Amino acid sequence: MNAFIEFLTLDNLTYMLFGLVWSVIYGVIVVLVGTILGIIGAALKISKHKVLQSIGGLYTTVFIGTPMMLQILFFAVALPQALSFTGMRFEPTTLGVVAMCLNAGAYQTELIRSGILGVDKGQWEATETLGLSYFQAMRYVILPQAFKRIIPPLISEFMTLIKDSSLLYNIGAIELTASASVLGSRSAGIMIPYLDAGIMYIVIYLILSRVEKMAERRLAVSD
Amino acid sequence: MTNSMIKVDHITKTFNGFTAVNDASLEIEKGEIVCLIGPSGSGKSTLIRCINGLEHPETGKVYIDGEELDPKSGNFAQIRRKMGFVFQHFNLFPNMTVLENLTLAPVKVLGKSQQEAEDVAMKYLQVVGLVEKKDEYPNKLSGGQKQRVAIARALCLEPEMMLFDEPTSALDPEMVLDVLNVMKELANEGMTMIVVTHEMGFAKTVANRVVFLEDGKIVEDTDAKTFYENPESDRAKDFLSKVMY
Repeated sequence: MNAFIEFLTLDNLTYMLFGLVWSVIYGVIVVLVGTILGIIGAALKISKHKVLQSIGGLYTTVFIGTPMMLQILFFAVALPQALSFTGMRFEPTTLGVVAMCLNAGAYQTELIRSGILGVDKGQWEATETLGLSYFQAMRYVILPQAFKRIIPPLISEFMTLIKDSSLLYNIGAIELTASASVLGSRSAGIMIPYLDAGIMYIVIYLILSRVEKMAERRLAVSD
Repeated sequence: MTNSMIKVDHITKTFNGFTAVNDASLEIEKGEIVCLIGPSGSGKSTLIRCINGLEHPETGKVYIDGEELDPKSGNFAQIRRKMGFVFQHFNLFPNMTVLENLTLAPVKVLGKSQQEAEDVAMKYLQVVGLVEKKDEYPNKLSGGQKQRVAIARALCLEPEMMLFDEPTSALDPEMVLDVLNVMKELANEGMTMIVVTHEMGFAKTVANRVVFLEDGKIVEDTDAKTFYENPESDRAKDFLSKVMY
């Protein structure tokens, strides 16, 4: 216990918080980009054109069927190596985040797709009889209803991605787990920094759980 | 030569081998109030949905104002806009207020300004008697109110004709009258209407023509008075004896 309190110097705390902030930033970027990719992916998968459907299917099969760690390594390490002949320099962290975005996009595709399919067929028919185009129907009627359904899962997805950003440690990114590891290697033991990181992740989790419950209650009002 | 407003020309529609509409033909002129009646499964909903383009018949054609209703043609959406459609289950947009439900299409499809669309919306909310509900969400309305809003929503596009697919079948009995009264008002003002309904009283008093279907075929097509007092076909007589309690 004493060692734990000794660890919490201003320097250490700042360093850990800096890592935490980056973890959250990665979470935000990935969940936002992932949602955009998810909308596109869902639109592809529910499309009536077989080609578009197949593209969507291929995307989700690849990114849901392989581990995120492998995807990060593929984009951040393997691709630059394969493209080294072009002389282009790549920032591993950026590529790692790209991989995470594609991964999140695949899971979001399935989530958003189920949200869209959960909207009553009558809603589509009403938009048809009113003369709305496919895009207008999606934008004003279908997607808003689909999203209402999937906001709680989306918030928990956000939490998962904050935790998943710890995988970026393996390619040298700055985030909470990396911060803990660095401090652990400097000082007497790695246990305490890891415990501290764990506590910080849990605090974020508890905050987001609360937000999710509040969102669920608010959304239930207009049901 | 004037075209009929609606011309259904020998259409057949099947679903997975089941023939819902079998070689149906009819013509409807401007100002007519036509009721489609018949037992469940007789094809009346399918028929009205074919007229509106929600279903596409395998054979035969539908003409609106002389123009063929063809999903592949460029003016499909434009022709459909001439018809307002009211669903059995209302299909109001739950994520919008009543006023927003009514102004969405006039603004996005007809290109009206928000103000113009709202003025039109208020006019039709007046017609259906629900002005005070303009800022409510659909989930706060009763079934009868939802259906009247749905009627107003269809009217906001100022269609040339209104199609109703069992408009009162999903309503509690005490709300049916409010909706039928709105429909009667529309009829009195000269709106061309096709109504799929089980409400015999309405058909008898408001319709000027009744089309009786059974097993996907049009069995009888006469003026309303004749149909109820002296139907030609045995099957129509049989049906009426069962439904008029």
